Amino acid sequence: MIHLEDIGVTFNANTILENQALRGISLTVAERQFVTVIGSNGAGKSTLLGAVSGETPISRGRVEIDEVEVTKWPVHRRARYAARVFQNPLAGTCATLTIEENMALAYGRGKRRGWRLALSAKRRRLFQDRIAILGLGLEDRLGDSIGLLSGGQRQAVSLVMATLSDSRLLLLDEHTAALDPRMAAFILKLTNTVVEEFALTVMMVTHSMKDALACGDRTVMLHQGKIVLDVAGEERDQLDVPQLLEMFSKVRGEELADDSLLLG
Amino acid sequence: MSLFAFLGTLEIGLVYGLVALGVYLTFRVLDFPDLTVDGSFPMGGAVAATAIVAGVNPWLATGLAVLVGGMCGLVTAFLAVRCGILHLLASILTMIAAFSINIRIMGRPNMALLGEPTIFTAFDNMGLDPLYSHLGVIFLLVLFAAFFVTRLLASDFGLALRATGVNGRMVSAQGGSIGFYTYLGLALSNGLVGFSGALFAQSNSFADVTSGVGTIVVGLAAVILGQTLIPGRRIWVAVVAVIVGSILYRLAVGFALSSGMFGMQASDLNLVTAVLVAIALIAPKMKGKMRLKAVQARRAK
Repeated sequence: MIHLEDIGVTFNANTILENQALRGISLTVAERQFVTVIGSNGAGKSTLLGAVSGETPISRGRVEIDEVEVTKWPVHRRARYAARVFQNPLAGTCATLTIEENMALAYGRGKRRGWRLALSAKRRRLFQDRIAILGLGLEDRLGDSIGLLSGGQRQAVSLVMATLSDSRLLLLDEHTAALDPRMAAFILKLTNTVVEEFALTVMMVTHSMKDALACGDRTVMLHQGKIVLDVAGEERDQLDVPQLLEMFSKVRGEELADDSLLLG
Repeated sequence: MSLFAFLGTLEIGLVYGLVALGVYLTFRVLDFPDLTVDGSFPMGGAVAATAIVAGVNPWLATGLAVLVGGMCGLVTAFLAVRCGILHLLASILTMIAAFSINIRIMGRPNMALLGEPTIFTAFDNMGLDPLYSHLGVIFLLVLFAAFFVTRLLASDFGLALRATGVNGRMVSAQGGSIGFYTYLGLALSNGLVGFSGALFAQSNSFADVTSGVGTIVVGLAAVILGQTLIPGRRIWVAVVAVIVGSILYRLAVGFALSSGMFGMQASDLNLVTAVLVAIALIAPKMKGKMRLKAVQARRAK
């Protein structure tokens, strides 16, 4: 569960470059809810996710994860509660380590990292089982350096890594944006499978209106650091992309010159 | 080179193998160029020598040197992590400060250990030939340190340490504190270097504040030489490589100096080392460029 209360983020405060990225956002994501977050560039989508993960320092407000206040916690402490997959496939994995070593690192999330061998026979079996669901044949390549994998494969491994620890929250920051359409579709399908199987609570930032409606059970639209639309249930089921787009242009108070940018 | 000189070179190569291990941990694993070693090496010697002269058991004195060396690393980590000082500069500050502290520890710039008990004394009393027994003791200690580092890097802790130098953001996202790993990595590295300094002082029967000059370059030379000659991604290969690199470096230097090649004298050592390290750092880039040119030339045909 995530509970955000009146979150404000200001970059370059008191300078000529001052930019209020978030202006008082309050949002509660219930247990097992799958929220998709959309908005134009600079609307504050990723900043919002950063406020939850701790990567973006907030200037006001309160952040709670699983009913624990984490407002002042650094990124690594919050990581015990939340797994993340980044937009850049290179960011979520360590290129010089092998696939199984990356998985061992993720396995240790929220646990004490001590003297125990990172790769025991038991752990290897677990990693093999988990990575086999990808159907990419990676279970036979656990000893390969992860730098040898394609961006899509690395994102797929990142998703599996997110499930190796027993947190129930998954934060996805445009995790399909850097992939080709076929791979993006595969990763999205995989995301749904993983969320279903491990009963996760999800916050997914995306720039694709289609994905935002196709995935999850609630959609939040941000504009200039504020929530301008928050739909769930039946109301959301009846929404289609053109309608969403219309709402989007309404809040922006202007007609969009090129719909294709957002329809994709 | 005589057998006596050869064994002596081997011994000093092994002692500096510990420095190479320390430099490998910071320079390669943590990606933190750490010049603290120029201060923690003589500090290890100073602490061990002072403690021994004061009547402390030599093994305990050596352990003390390891701890104090580790503390030097913690100071650098504090300056870099907590105070946000550029890593290179932070380590230079510690190194400079260590020079004064070393003189304070000993009460003078150098200290003789002649006639004092050392970790080798017990073996000398057993009637073993010191030429071989000292080498044997040092070999075993370095072997132990090498095993320790290899095993550590294969642990959960070590894995996070290795990832910290490559992708800090990922380590944070996986719940590891980059600051914590930087502190412990630097402490570990400088602990090894302090250990090396203590062994150096006891095997040479003196401690000297100036003995630290150029330690980082010698360590780097060993790491680069070793990893170029014995490449490999496995941890134990890298650990063996840097120690072998240290021995080979000493052998090359010893050979060049003893043969009077090119009319070199002992004081030319630092210049030669710096040139060697520079070449070793440039060579891989040149190789890459030449290969690229060869490919382009082939395509042009």
